[in-house]
Amino acid sequence: MMLARVADSLYWIGRYVERAEHLCRLSDVMLTATLDRTESATQVARIALAAVGDEADLKKAQDPYEAARALVLDREDTGSVASSLGFARENARQVRDQITTETWERLNMIHFRMTDPNAGRAFADGSQAFLHDTIADLHLFKGAADATMSHGEGWRFLLLGVYLERAQLIGSLLEVCFGEKSKRILADHTAQTSLLRMSCALEPYLRVYTADIRPDLILEFLLLDDDFPRSMRFCTARIEEHLASIGRHADAESPGPDRLAGRLRARLQYADIDEVQAGGASVFLAAILDECAAVHKAVYEAFVAYPLEQRLPA
Amino acid sequence: MAKAERAETAAAQSPAIPYDEMRGLDGKVRPHYAELAARIETLSSEELSERQRTLERFFLLQGITFTVYGAESTTERIIPTDLLPRIISAEEWKVIETGLTQRLKALNMFLADIYSGQQILMDGVVPRDLVLNAPSYQRAMQNLYVPHQAYANVCGSDLIRQPDGTFAVLEDNLRVPSGVSYMLANREASKRVFPGTFRGAGVRPIDRYPDMLLTTLKSMAADWRPNPQVVVLTPGVYNSAYFEHAYLARLMGVPLVEGRDLVVHDNMVYMRTTTGLRRIDVIYRRVDDDFIDPLTFRRDSGLGAAGLFNAYRAGNVVICNAPGTGVADDKAVYAYVPEIIRYYLGEDAILPNIETFLCREPAQLSHVLANLDKFVVKAVGASGGYGMLVGPHSTKAQQAEFAAALKADPDNYIAQPTIQLSTGPCLIGNEIDARHVDLRPFILSGDKIVVTPGALTRVALRKGSLVVNSSQGGGSKDTWVLTDRKDLQP
Repeated sequence: MMLARVADSLYWIGRYVERAEHLCRLSDVMLTATLDRTESATQVARIALAAVGDEADLKKAQDPYEAARALVLDREDTGSVASSLGFARENARQVRDQITTETWERLNMIHFRMTDPNAGRAFADGSQAFLHDTIADLHLFKGAADATMSHGEGWRFLLLGVYLERAQLIGSLLEVCFGEKSKRILADHTAQTSLLRMSCALEPYLRVYTADIRPDLILEFLLLDDDFPRSMRFCTARIEEHLASIGRHADAESPGPDRLAGRLRARLQYADIDEVQAGGASVFLAAILDECAAVHKAVYEAFVAYPLEQRLPA
Repeated sequence: MAKAERAETAAAQSPAIPYDEMRGLDGKVRPHYAELAARIETLSSEELSERQRTLERFFLLQGITFTVYGAESTTERIIPTDLLPRIISAEEWKVIETGLTQRLKALNMFLADIYSGQQILMDGVVPRDLVLNAPSYQRAMQNLYVPHQAYANVCGSDLIRQPDGTFAVLEDNLRVPSGVSYMLANREASKRVFPGTFRGAGVRPIDRYPDMLLTTLKSMAADWRPNPQVVVLTPGVYNSAYFEHAYLARLMGVPLVEGRDLVVHDNMVYMRTTTGLRRIDVIYRRVDDDFIDPLTFRRDSGLGAAGLFNAYRAGNVVICNAPGTGVADDKAVYAYVPEIIRYYLGEDAILPNIETFLCREPAQLSHVLANLDKFVVKAVGASGGYGMLVGPHSTKAQQAEFAAALKADPDNYIAQPTIQLSTGPCLIGNEIDARHVDLRPFILSGDKIVVTPGALTRVALRKGSLVVNSSQGGGSKDTWVLTDRKDLQP
C-alpha cells in the first residue's frame, strides 16, 4: 500500500531518469560520429534526431554540436536532458520521504551539475566528458536505488517506469532504423555501429555475433536477446515482472495492466526474427509501441487515477 | 548632579552589555564552553572555514534548502548555518525544561477552558473580548472533545537570555511551529564537523524526537483503533518548510500526504493509495488553521480537504495541533500567561515573560507612545519578524508611522522593552565574532509532556541585529545540552 500520488511520482522518476540517460547517449554518439565530416556521419545525426522526434528538421543535422547542446541543456525544451532531470528531481522532492537519502543525494547532485551556471561552459569544453559523467552519475543513481531502497512496491513503480520508458525509447529508435520510412538509413558500417552504441549494445553484441555487424542481426539482438538489458524482450519481461509484483501488493481488483503486460511479454517471448521480418519489422514495432502505450494508460487507471465511486466503503 | 544620577539609573535599568554565552564579564571562558573553546584555539581560520564548507555541502546534498525565485532563474540556497555550537549547561537546562513543561500544561488547560466553560473569562483573569475577538479564536472548536486536553501537541517556544543571564519566554508557538528539522540536521552536521569535541563534551542526544513525536501523535488516537494510521499533511513541495515535512514523515515512517490525496466520506478521512482508499486516524497537519477545510474555514483553500473538520468533530480523525490553538500564543494573550499559570496550577511561572505593554490599555499606550524609540512594537497578529518596529534601530519617520498605526488601532499592538539578546561566538567570514542568538526548544504533549533536550538556536547574522528570523537574515546553529556529570556516575 502506498499513496497513489507517490506511486505516480516514483514511476515518473524512473521514466525521466531513463529518458535523460538515453538522450545523453544519443548526443554522445552523434557528437563522436560527426567528428568526421562525412555523409555517413550526417546520417548518424539524422538517426539520433529522428529518434527524438526531430526528423523534419534536417537542418539540425548539419549542426550536430548545436543540436546536441540543445538536446542536453535547453531548459526551455521540456524534452531535454536538463528538463527531464529537473522533472525527475521535482518528483523526487515530492516523495522525498519514500526514497532513501543515498538515492536522493545522487539525483540531487546530477541536478546541480545540470543547473550549474557553468554547465554550458563545461559542455563546450568537453561535451563527451560531460555526457559521460552524467551517464555515469545516472548509473550511480540506479545503483543506489537498487542497493539501498527496499525492493517493495515503491521500488517496483520506479523500475516499471524505467523499463517502460526504455522499451519505448529503444522501440522508437528501431522504428527509425527499420520502420517504414527508414529507406536505407543503416547503409554503412558507421551507421550500424552507431545504432549499437546508441543502445549501449556494441560490446554485448560483439560478444554474441562477433564483429559480423549486419542490420538483420542488430534487429534480432535489440528485439529478442534474452539477456541484454536493453533488448525489447528483456524490457517487456521486466515490465510484466514488476507489474505482477505490484499486483500482489494491490487488491488485484483490476486485471488491466497485468493482462496487457503479459500479452506484450508473450509477443516478444515467442517471436522469432524470420517471422518478424516476414510480416514486416515496421508492423511488429508499431504493434509493440502501441501496447507499451496501452500498458502505461492501464497502470495510470488502475493505481493512480481510479474512479473513487468503486473504492468507497459500502 | 541630579542629571548625572538620572543617567546612572537609566544605565542600570537597561544594561547595554548583552550576556555572552561563552565568556563571563571577566573574559574567562565559562566552564561548559571549556572544551569547545580549547578546540577552536587549535584550529586556524582556514581550517574553520574548511569545516564550514563541509557543513554547507552536507546541507546542500541533503536538499535542506529553500528556493529563491529570481527574474532570470530560480536558485536554491541553504539556510545559513553556523558551525560553532551553542552550549547550555545541565543546570540551566533543568530550569528551562521544568519551566516549559509548566507553561505548556497551563496553556493546554487554558485552551480546554476557553473552548468549553470559559471559567477563566468569567473570573476576569483574562479579558473576555481579548480572547473572543482574537482572529485565532475558532468558534468551531467550542465544546469539542480533545484527548488528554492536549490541544498543542507540538509547541516551539522562543526563549531569550536576558543580560542578567536568566532565560525568559519571548513568545510561544502553538500553531504549526517549524524548525525542528534544522535542530536535527544541525546535530547531524556538527557530529561530522566536531566529532572529538562532541564526544568529550557529553551532549544529550536528540535523535529520539521523531519517535517521540509519533508516540505523541498515536496517543491522540481513539482507544478503540488499534494501530492508528498517522500521516503528515503538507501544503506541498512549494512550501518553504517542505523539507521539514518530508523529513519528519520519513523519520516517523508515515505517509506524507497533500490535500489532494485525501477523501472525506461519511465523516471518515481516507487517503488514495494504489490499493484503494485507506482510513486515516491522526493527521499531523503542517497547514494553517484557515486552510485545512474549505467547508469550515477559508473557502478558497485547496490545501486541505473538504469535510475534514466535520470528521474531526465526529471524532473519526484527530487533527494535531488542534485548530484554534493560536489563541493561546496570541501576542496580547501572552501578557497574561503568568496569570494563567497561577490560575490553573497555583504556581509562579518558572520562566518569566518579557515585560509587555498592551496598547489597548490607554495608560500603557501613552507610555509606549512617549518612548517609541526604546520599545519593540509588534502587531498582535503578525509573525516571522514582520510588522515590527525595533525602536532603538528605527528612524523618526518609521516611529511616526507606527505612532499613527498605534493610535488608529491600539488593540492590534503590544510593546516590549528592547532586550539585548545574549551573544554567542559565530564564524563570520574567516573570523570568530559574537552575534545575537535566541533559543527555540520543542515540547511535545499528548498523554504526557516531553521536552527534547536540545533546541534550535537562531542567530542574527548581521552584526548588532536583534532579528533572528530566517526571513530577515537569520541563520541557525546546533545546540548542545550537556549531560549532568553526576548522572554519568556508573
